[in-house]
Formats: sequence, C-alpha cells, structure tokens
Amino acid sequence: MAKISNRLWFQLHGWMSLPIWVLFCAVCLTGTIAVVSHELTWLTNSAARADNPNNLPIKTMAEITAIVENTYPSAKVSTVMNYEPYLVNVAIFTDSDKPYALAYVNQYTGDIQQINQGVTFIGFMRTLHAWLLFPWKNNYSIGYYMVSAMAITMLGALITGLMVYKNFWRAFTQPKLRLNQGKKTALADLHRLAGVWSIWFILLMAVTGIWYLVQAILWHNDVEIDPHAPIVSDIPNVSIYGEVPQRPVSLADALHIANVKYPDFKSTYILPPEHYRDTYKLYGEGDFIFFDQYSYGVVVNPWNGEIMQVRDPNEMNILQTLSHIANPLHYGTIGGIWTKIIWFVFGVFLTGMSITGFLMWGNRTIQAVKKHKNDETSDNASSYTLNKQES
Amino acid sequence: MARVNDNWWNRNKFNISGLVLLLSCYFFYQSLTPEFPDMWEAKQVGEFEISPMPYNLDPPYLHDGVYTKDFFLMFNKGQVKDIRQAYLNIGDEPLPLDELQAEGHGILHGSQHGQEVHAIAPKSFKPEHKLWLTIQSWKGDEFLTSWDLQDH
Repeated sequence: MAKISNRLWFQLHGWMSLPIWVLFCAVCLTGTIAVVSHELTWLTNSAARADNPNNLPIKTMAEITAIVENTYPSAKVSTVMNYEPYLVNVAIFTDSDKPYALAYVNQYTGDIQQINQGVTFIGFMRTLHAWLLFPWKNNYSIGYYMVSAMAITMLGALITGLMVYKNFWRAFTQPKLRLNQGKKTALADLHRLAGVWSIWFILLMAVTGIWYLVQAILWHNDVEIDPHAPIVSDIPNVSIYGEVPQRPVSLADALHIANVKYPDFKSTYILPPEHYRDTYKLYGEGDFIFFDQYSYGVVVNPWNGEIMQVRDPNEMNILQTLSHIANPLHYGTIGGIWTKIIWFVFGVFLTGMSITGFLMWGNRTIQAVKKHKNDETSDNASSYTLNKQES
Repeated sequence: MARVNDNWWNRNKFNISGLVLLLSCYFFYQSLTPEFPDMWEAKQVGEFEISPMPYNLDPPYLHDGVYTKDFFLMFNKGQVKDIRQAYLNIGDEPLPLDELQAEGHGILHGSQHGQEVHAIAPKSFKPEHKLWLTIQSWKGDEFLTSWDLQDH
C-alpha cells in the first residue's frame, strides 16, 4: 500500500474543512449556544422560571392543562411539555383569537406567567443549529441534510488532522501554547491543543451527526423508527339523540396508569386526544441515564384505560435506541448542568478551531502571495540590472 | 509551495459557504410571515359549514405508508364535538366509511378552532379528482361533500 505523504494528509485536512469553514463555524457556534439554551432562557426571561419559594408540590400535566383551559374557556390544549425542573411547563393551545400559543405555567404555583405567540429562544437555537431554519418539505429538510452531512467532513478532518500531527499524544503530556512567538505559532498551538483535547468530543459529535444523517434518510423514505400511536377501534356507538359521550378516562387517570406501569415515569411531553378515536399519548423520562426525556411512553385508550402501546428502553430495537440516545450525547444533557457546561466549553473549542484553522490557511496564503510578489519583484530587478549592464 | 494567484476567487473561495446563512435569514423571515394558499369555497354539509385549505401546493408525500396531502379545515358553522369521526380523501370517489375507519388514515383532528388532516391521496393528481369529506355525527348521520381539484 502506497504511503501517503504528510503533505497530502495536510492537503486532505484542508479540503475537509476549509471549503465549508464559515458554515461549519456557524453550526458549531449555534450548537454551543443551543446546549445552554435552557439556562440562557432561565437567565433572560423571568416568566420562564419555575420559582418555588414556598416549596409547593409539583402539579401534574393534567392540572396544568386544566389551569389553561379554565383560564381560557374556549382554548384547547394540544400539548404539554417540560424541559427542566427550573423552567415552567409549556402548554401549547389554540383559542378563537390565538391560532397557536404557548402558556408558560409554573408547575408549582399554577400561575400562568406568560402567553407566548411567537418564537422561543430554545426553539430558535435548536432549529437554527439542526437545520439552519431551512423549511421542512413534509418529511425532509435540505438544511437538516446539510448540517448532519458535516459530520462526515468533521470525522475526515479529525482523522487527517491526527495523521498530520503524528505525535498528537504529546499535547496531553507536554501541552504547548506559545502565545508570544508570533501569530503563526500561537494559532498553530491553539488549533493543535484544542484539537487533541477535543478528540473525544469531535468523535462524539461526528458519530451522533452521522446518526442524524441516517435518521434524515430514514425519515425521508418514510421508514418508521418509533411506531405511530394506534387508533382506537371501539368507541361508543351513535345514538338517535346525538348525545356526545364523555371519555371515562381523564388525563389524570391516564397519567396515573402510566405511573403504575412505570413507577419512575416522569412526564415530559403529553398529547391529549385530538379526535374521538384518538388516545392519550404520554411520554417521559425514567431511570436510564443515556436515554432522552421521551424514552418512556404510554398510549392510553381514553374509553377503557387500556394501555395500547408502550415505549420502553428495555424493548427498543437498535434504531429506536440510537434515536433516543443521540440527543443526550450530542447536547450533553446526560448529567444535567455539569455535563452541559463541559459540552459548552468543548463547543467553544470546536468553534474556535474552525476559526484558527482558517486563519492558519490565510496566513500561509498571504505569505505565499507575498513570497511570490517578492520573487517577481527581485526577478524584475535582476533583469533590469542585467539589462543595464548589457547596455 | 504551489504558486498562489492573488485574485478575488483565491481570497474568498473558502468563505462562500457563509452565503448559506443568508438563506437561513430569509427562511427565518419566511417562518415569521407564513403564506398559505387561498381557502377553498365553504360548503354546507348537514349542520356544518366547512372551508378547506391545503397547506401548500406540493404533490402528495408518503406518510405512515400512505400518500398524503395535508389540509386545514375551518368550521364556520357547527360544533366539532358533534362529529363522531370524519375523513378526507382525494380521488375519483369517496372511500367507504368502513374502509376509512378500519385504518384511521385521513381522520380529522384538532380543535373547534381548526381541524387538520393528512388526507389520503393518490401518488399524483388527475383533473377529475375531487377532495372528498366524509362526516359521521354522533346521531349516526353520514354526510358527504366534495371540492373539484381542477377548480383550485
């Protein structure tokens, strides 16, 4: 097998990174901010904080739904979700004058602290990072493909970078950061040091990114990862008086059924029925550290309380497992605030590497151009002198 | 070292990917000011008056193994809660209620303020195709109405 020269590895490293460095930098930066978007929301929007000065017990999502629908009698809540214990529950609802609104409900006090009919910072950062705000054409987005495909170039840049910097482990044992020996040295040291210390992080981002690319292809081809919730086949029969039956199983009952099924179940995302053959779809988190906050699920028949479908990490196939562990690993939510801080710091490193990499190329190019110009100038001067001498 | 020409292309070729971010700005503006096709004319069916609106003018797409076209239905008259089940399909003729309720595809869902539906559709449309709305009320009445695709 032919040995690849260091010069070719170096060129490959540049080809992997330089043509998309601006976009890659933007994706890294938005991802870094997205990691701490919950915390930034808590810091910047007091209405999004779930303060609990009187140490009140937490209200269920059934109570949150009732609070919103009692406050706005013509409203219909379609979703309730919760991101963090220190952030409010969000109830998505429609009303006669609000086609789409988010009620920020403090899950301890029961106060509706804000009605938001616009874009949330969390949603904006996640969508900007994940698909660059490109629209979804039914089941695919070009932006999602572009961002997830960057995982391939990221992996390529890592491998080629390590081939160029063959003794990279020295950056662990003898880290060098020479900031006073010129711009070129400082940039090279920063790039190499951040790169080597971020190997694990780059690998993690690349692997999860490649999974997102696979997931995008599956979605695009209508391949089901998590099965759709079933529909109820037996609902009450019609009556000559047209009486509209009440569902015997309430949302509170359904949540209780979910908690009996999974004692550690903590609801994070619930969907009440949207028609009479629909079900309560209750998703939440349990005691699996690497799985996301939707990895448990119970679909409850509102007419008889039967559990029609469950989602359980113990019963997931490989695709389902990958889809539910990717986000915690990609966004660093596995250990709460502390892992998020680590992910944020390494996100800054990765963003910085795209900038230092480009600056290094810029320096080399400028030097090459200067050298080329100097050579041309000295050639012209020499030929001028020669001509003078000849004449 | 290879000779480098000091021209615009060589200075800027690696920054061009940044132009994609201009599209992000445009798409963000677009998401804040969404535009939808016009609502179709309202039709009276039983106690209900209903206007459909496709979410876009794209061809049908695969959803849950079925070709689908997404619609929003505005109920100008009548109460959504009085509907036991209702379905939307596109084709030469309406699908029978028995067939519709067996699978549950194309069922109307949402609230009184607006119903959404992934209407069952053929892979591609023909001029003679119609949008068929089948409603069964809690009284047991079955209503059927349609809109010509070629008129919209």
